[in-house]
Amino acid sequence: MRIDALDQENVRSPFQRVLRIVFRDKAGLVGVLLFGIVLFSAIFAPYIAPHHPLEQNLRISRQVPAWQEGGDWEHPLGTDNLGRDMLSRIIYGSRVSLTVGFFGVLISMSLGMILGLVAGYVGGRTDNIIMGIANLFLAIPYLLLVVVVAAVLGRSLINVIMIFGFTNAPLFVRITRGEVLRIRKSGYVESATSIGARPGRIIFQHILPNLIGPLLTVATFEMSGMIFYEAGLGFLGLSVPPGVPSWGNMLAAGRQYIQFSPWIAAFPGLAIVFTSLGMNLLGDWLRDVLDPKMRRSA
Amino acid sequence: MSGTAERQPMLQVTNLKKYFPIKTGVFSRTTGYVKAVDDVSFDIYPGETFALVGESGCGKSTTGRTILRLQNATGGQVIFKGEDVYAATGDRMRVLRKDMQIVFQDPYSALNPRMTIGAAIREIMRVHGMATGNELHEKAERVLETCGLQRHHASRYPHEFSGGQRQRVVIARALALNPSLIVADEPISALDVSIQSQIINLLEDLQDEFDLTFLFISHDLSVVKHMAERVGVMYLGKLVEVAGKRELYENPLHPYSQALLSAIPVSDPARRQERIILKGDVPSPANPPSGCPFHTRCPYAMDVCRSVVPRLRRTDSGRHVACHLIHPPEQHNGDLSTVETRIAH
Repeated sequence: MRIDALDQENVRSPFQRVLRIVFRDKAGLVGVLLFGIVLFSAIFAPYIAPHHPLEQNLRISRQVPAWQEGGDWEHPLGTDNLGRDMLSRIIYGSRVSLTVGFFGVLISMSLGMILGLVAGYVGGRTDNIIMGIANLFLAIPYLLLVVVVAAVLGRSLINVIMIFGFTNAPLFVRITRGEVLRIRKSGYVESATSIGARPGRIIFQHILPNLIGPLLTVATFEMSGMIFYEAGLGFLGLSVPPGVPSWGNMLAAGRQYIQFSPWIAAFPGLAIVFTSLGMNLLGDWLRDVLDPKMRRSA
Repeated sequence: MSGTAERQPMLQVTNLKKYFPIKTGVFSRTTGYVKAVDDVSFDIYPGETFALVGESGCGKSTTGRTILRLQNATGGQVIFKGEDVYAATGDRMRVLRKDMQIVFQDPYSALNPRMTIGAAIREIMRVHGMATGNELHEKAERVLETCGLQRHHASRYPHEFSGGQRQRVVIARALALNPSLIVADEPISALDVSIQSQIINLLEDLQDEFDLTFLFISHDLSVVKHMAERVGVMYLGKLVEVAGKRELYENPLHPYSQALLSAIPVSDPARRQERIILKGDVPSPANPPSGCPFHTRCPYAMDVCRSVVPRLRRTDSGRHVACHLIHPPEQHNGDLSTVETRIAH
């Protein structure tokens, strides 16, 4: 029966095969859906948000969510202390989170991949120097760095992204270097050497394709981590300026009203939780999908 | 080597050495060397199968890899078809590499999991500009067929194959460039016994068909007996005996060869074979014994064995043995260093 299922899989179109992979793993499906929702709201925020996120209306400040006594569907998730629409702010907040996560990972992954490749492939003294610097970076407490940068350069999205990008790069350097060392020792790289393939071919044909899987998986987990930490920084007032709607900022603002208007802090909190959860599930799923053993040739 | 003396050797290995430094401490000081291959010399003639045997860790794989320059030798010379492999650079080296290929022991790690096997074979043909476009696909599929696989297998990934099939792919890849020398580094030891004979037969068929020369590295003496024409026995990085297969199996001269060959299981229970059991373990190659490396375990060890390193010398029957029993040190005429060492002890 198992063999039948595999045979049928071969007959299907590529699109059907992708669908099959998505539905085979229920947790992965949840991850993809959650991430899809966040991505969608970040991209189309102006079209789906019912109000402008900064539009204040003090007469309806701290209005309860729609399903409670005294709420209305004009503001489905209620309003915050300044009467701004919670739903719209959460939708716009996803932009900050995803931007930090995406670009932070992009910077740290590209940096880490290049340095890790060089360290692992060249080896020797170059390897020692690169790994030394990477370990030095790992030793810097990022929170301290954030406080210093926020104090000196001011609070901005770019600063947060840069700090996350640089402080996380050593992790990618280590993973890349380890993988490169492992792959270099494998028979297929040796046999490529033994036929006289040039280093460029070995790196691009053999090492990189085998690196991408583990790196992308780590990248997803890291992105989830960065979104989480960005919210933490926002809560401490060290991330984006207070005017920008971000989940961390909203959480911080809701803190003082948590006793009587808990929804102001609860909804951004839930947004953070579900985004992180979604990305972690997505990471698990990616690890399986990117494994060539799961792939069937057509 | 009587029958092959008039022919020009295809591969001449002379005093090949490969030492791995042992690094200790924070500053990675080199505190010693593991002499994985120590002063190994042998010739391989066109069309023959030369086997290197020995227990694990004796340096036979390292010998094969240093010959192909997959690892650089510490010393010595490798001449392939009249050309010094270690003197060749850049493009010249690529031309040489095309002519000598390796088949690895582990077919599971020898193939890139993200490349179809067709792509893997096409890649090496492309590196050497052997064909383009449709011709490339055609050639790759034909090589697969030669090695007992199907044409449509070209579009499959390595994980879809069994160990034996993978080894066929690895052999096909080695064969794709029409090499004249193939270093087979324990090509069957990772395989099931039932598959081993298939791969051995494949190698033999290919040897006949393409006029290949093999350097066959193995610890399986029965397989070597089946495959090889000449055999080199290695112990602790040194070649202790080189002889034709028949001479070696019928009358091993070196005490280590004798012990090694007595370990081959005999299928006839009525025929009891005298098994030579060696005492102790193989000494560490990082700290090899003085004199003959085998003297710590040799049942015939003499005083001279503890101090003088026996060299691989030709016997009257044309074989090569490194043992003081066969070549008493008194015969080392004019070798002052040897004499001095003896006096010192």
